Amino acid sequence: MDNDLLAFLEKEGIEKDLLDGVRAYRAENTVPAAYAKRIPDPDVYYYGKETWKKAIAALLCGENLLLAGPKATGKNVLAENLAALFGRPCWNVSFHINVDAAYLIGTDTFNGEKVVFRPGPIYLCATNGGFGVLDEINMAKNEALAVLHSTLDFRHSIDVPGYDKIEVNPAARFIATMNYGYAGTRDLNEALTSRFAVLDMPIIAEDDLNRLIRRKYPDINEQICGQFVKLFYELDKKAESAEISDRALDLRGLLDAIGLIKKGLSSGDALDMCITNKTFDAYERKLIHDVIASRIPQDMNRDIVFSK
Amino acid sequence: MIKRHYSGEQRRALNMIWNAAGRYDFDPPFMAFFPNGRPDGYFNMMIGLVDKWLDTEKIEKFFESYDGARDRDEYDDLLWLGLENCLYEKEIGERPILKMLRAERGERFFKTQQTLSRQQMMLQSMLVYNQQETRWARATGRKPPVLGPREKKMAQALLFPGSLDVDGVISAMKDFLREFFRFDVEKEAARVHGPKEVKGAAAKLLGLVMKKETRRVDVLMVRTGTGTGDREGSVQLRHNIGEVHNSEKAEEDLSYIKACFGKSIYNGHDLRALENDLCKDNDEGCRLWFTKGEPDPASAGTKTAVETAAAAKKQYEKNLAYYKHQAGLVGSSIRRLSAQLDTIFSSFAQPLPETSKHGTLSPEKAYRLAVLDDPYVFTHPGDEVENDVSVDILLDASASRMNSQETISSQAYIIAKSLVKCHVPVEVLAFRSLRSYTVLQVLKEYKEEDCSGIFHYFAGGWNRDGLALKAAESQMEQNRHGRRILMILTDASPNDSTRMPPEQGSVFMREYEGAAAVEDTADAVKKIRADGVRVAAVFLGATTNLENVHIIYGKEFVRIQKIEQLAVAISNLLTMTLREMRN
Ligand SMILES: Nc1ncnc2c1ncn2[C@@H]1O[C@H](COP(=O)(O)OP(=O)(O)OP(=O)(O)O)[C@@H](O)[C@H]1O
Ligand SMILES: [Mg+2]
Repeated sequence: MDNDLLAFLEKEGIEKDLLDGVRAYRAENTVPAAYAKRIPDPDVYYYGKETWKKAIAALLCGENLLLAGPKATGKNVLAENLAALFGRPCWNVSFHINVDAAYLIGTDTFNGEKVVFRPGPIYLCATNGGFGVLDEINMAKNEALAVLHSTLDFRHSIDVPGYDKIEVNPAARFIATMNYGYAGTRDLNEALTSRFAVLDMPIIAEDDLNRLIRRKYPDINEQICGQFVKLFYELDKKAESAEISDRALDLRGLLDAIGLIKKGLSSGDALDMCITNKTFDAYERKLIHDVIASRIPQDMNRDIVFSK
Repeated sequence: MIKRHYSGEQRRALNMIWNAAGRYDFDPPFMAFFPNGRPDGYFNMMIGLVDKWLDTEKIEKFFESYDGARDRDEYDDLLWLGLENCLYEKEIGERPILKMLRAERGERFFKTQQTLSRQQMMLQSMLVYNQQETRWARATGRKPPVLGPREKKMAQALLFPGSLDVDGVISAMKDFLREFFRFDVEKEAARVHGPKEVKGAAAKLLGLVMKKETRRVDVLMVRTGTGTGDREGSVQLRHNIGEVHNSEKAEEDLSYIKACFGKSIYNGHDLRALENDLCKDNDEGCRLWFTKGEPDPASAGTKTAVETAAAAKKQYEKNLAYYKHQAGLVGSSIRRLSAQLDTIFSSFAQPLPETSKHGTLSPEKAYRLAVLDDPYVFTHPGDEVENDVSVDILLDASASRMNSQETISSQAYIIAKSLVKCHVPVEVLAFRSLRSYTVLQVLKEYKEEDCSGIFHYFAGGWNRDGLALKAAESQMEQNRHGRRILMILTDASPNDSTRMPPEQGSVFMREYEGAAAVEDTADAVKKIRADGVRVAAVFLGATTNLENVHIIYGKEFVRIQKIEQLAVAISNLLTMTLREMRN
C-alpha cells in the first residue's frame, strides 16, 4: 500500500472525499499474493492537481481512462502512479506493430503433456482485477483493438476463442495513453474513444516543474533551476507558435540534460545533446540555440549548477 | 496578424524578439542586425522586452513621431541606449544571464570597432559612438572614454531607470531630445542639426569624395514599419532624407565623376551595353565608368567636384615627387624584378611563325604547291617572339588606401615597368566606387611602353570588389586574347554605399558589406575563373579579413605586411601562377 503517495496527494490538496474513496476501494479489493509484486512503487510522482482529481474521480466511477497529450507530459508516470495509489497490480501493453489479438488475450501452448492456454496480459489483468496500461494505443492495429471492445464496455467480458467467455474482475481498470503533437489530431477510432473517459494531459505547470526538478535533483541551485524551467516554457511557446517543430522540445530532454550536467558535462554540451541536436534542421537548431543562449550560459559546470 | 515573409536571418531576429516578448502574435517595429547581416541577439531581446515591460505600440508611436527628423538615425541609436538601461534593470531579476549578455554585447562593440574599414570608421557619428562606448565600457569593465561636460550629462540622462513605466520612458525620451538637441517632438516640424563629424586629416579628401551617409556601424536598428510613402508591407532600410536618387541628382553625379576621373573611354552606347551586361543581380542600380583621363577641375559643376578634382591632381604631383625622390631605388628594383620575371616568361614566349620553303606543312596553304607551284607552304619558328600571356593589375583605390597612395603608385610602377621590359603586355587599373559608380581608371594600357600614367592613382571612395573584378575582366576581354592573368591588390573587405537588391523572398535591401559582399566577390572571382582567367590576390589588410581572402580567392593569394612589398609580391605570385599554368 502506498501511503507515501496518499500523503503526497493530501499535501497537494486533493479533496478528502476522493482520497477516502481510494481508501475504501483499497479495503474492498484485495490483491492475489502472486501478483503483489506487480503493484508499482513509483519514484517519480505526477505533479498536477487538477489532472489527479479528474483521474481519481473517473477511476472511482469505474471508468477506463484515456490520457491524451503531447509527449513527455507524464502520461506513463500518471498511469503508474494511479496503479500504485489504488494498490493494484499493473500490466503494461505497448502497442507495437506485432501486437495482435492472440498476444493480448493469450495463445495455446504445449506444456510438455498437452496443449494449454497461455494467458496474455489483458486476460491476466482482467481476471486479476489489475490496472492495464495500454501504451500508445493509437499505434494499435484495428484487429488488435477489436478484442478490447467487449472488455472495455458494459459487457465486461473477454471472449477467448475455443474457451469460455470470461468475466472481467470489477476491480480492473484500463488506462490508455496516446500522443498527439501541437499540430497533430487525435486519430483513435470513435468506437474505442467512446469506451474511455478522455483526459487531456496538460503541459506541467511552472511551479510543479520547479518542484519536480528539485525533487529529482535536490542539490540543484534554485536560481539556475528556475532558468531551466523558464527555458522549457520558452521553447514550448516557440513550438506552439510553429516556429520550430515540436521534436526538439520535451521535458524528458531537459531532465536528461540536467542529469548530464550532474555527470560532468558542461551546460552547453548537455543542452545540445538533449535538446538542440534532436532537430535535424540546421536553421531550426539556430533558433533553439538563440533561445538557450538568452537564458543559460554555455559553460556552466556541475559545481555551479549543483551548488545549493 | 499577417505574418510577413522574411528571409532566414530576419526570421531569426523576429524569433529572438518574440521570445523575449513572450508572445508571437505581433510584428515588431524594429529589428536589430549587425553590419554583417546577422541578427543582434542582445538588442533584439531589448526590442522584445519593450513589449514585455512597456508597450510596443506606444513606443512605436513615439519613434514615428520624429520620423521626418534629419537626425532620426542618431536619435534612434541614442534613445535605444536609454531604453536598454531601463529594460536591463527591469529584466535582470528574472534573467540573470542578462549581465553576461550585456558584457558580451559590449565586447562585440569593441571588437567591431577594430574590424571596421576606414570608410566605415569615418562615417560613424562621433556623438553616438561616444555614448555607446561609454555604455559598453561600463558593461565590460573598461575605462570609459573622456567626455566633455555636455556628453557627460547626456550619458547620465541615457541611464533611464528601470522604475519607469511606459509613459515615464516616453517622457524621458522627449526630455532627452529637447534638452540635448533642442528637438521638440510635439512640434513635429522642428529640425535640429546634430553634430555630424568626420574626423581626421585624411578624411578631408574622403569627405569630399563620399556622399555623406550616416551609416550606423554598431547597432543597426532597422525600422520595420511601413512608414511614410512606402508601399504596403514593404520593409526597407531607409535612405537619408534628401538622398533619394532622382534624375537631377544623377546628372550631378555624372558630372562629378567626369570632373574627378575624366571622360569615359567608351561612348554612351557602349557604356550602356556594358552596364546592361554587368550591372545586374547584386549590382542592380550600379553604374560603371571606364576612364583613362586625368581629373578635370575645369569641367566640374559643383564646388565639391572642383575640390575633389583639385585634390586628385595634387595627389598626382605628390606621387610623382615621391617617385623622383626614390628614382635610384626604383630603377634597381625594376632591374631585379625583370630579370626574375624574364626567366619564367620566356618559357611562354611564342616565336611568331615564318613562312618558308621547308618546315612544317601548313595545311591551309598546301593547295598552292599543286595549283600555283608556290613552294612557300611551310612554316618554321621565326625570330620575332610574342608573349602569349598578358597581365592585369587591379589596384584597390578605396579610402582605405589613403595613407599609402605614393607608395602604391611607386610599387605599381615598378612591377609594370618590369613586365614591360620582359615584353609582357600589362594593364594597370585602379578601382573605387562612389555615388553608385564603380570607376575603373586605366592607369596604363597594354600597348603603352610608358608607365607614368600610374602616378594618377589616388585613393578615395568605397570598393565594390565584385563589380570591379567583373568590369576588369570585360576590359581584358576587349583587348587581349591568349592567357590572361588578373592580379588584384585588396584588403578583402568589400564595401560600398550602394545597396544590393533584396534576396528572393525578402523585402530588405542589403548592404554591400560583410558576408554578403564577400560572397558576391567570391562569386565574381568564380565566374571570371570559369572564363579562363587566372585570378590571384595580394592581400594587405587586417588579420580578421584573412578568412575573407580564403573565401574569395581560395589558395591563390599572398599576404604582405606593408605596401613596400607589393611589387615583389606580385612578381612572386606571377611566378607561382605561371609555373602552375605551365604544368
Ligand atoms: N506532470 C508531471 N509530473 C511528473 N513528471 C512529469 C510530468 N510531466 C512530465 N513529467 C516527466 O516527463 C518525463 C516523461 O514522462 P512520461 O514518460 O510519463 O511521459 P509520456 O507522456 O508518457 O511521454 P510519451 O508520450 O513520450 O510516452 C518523466 O521524466 C516525467 O517525470
Ligand atoms: Mg509514454
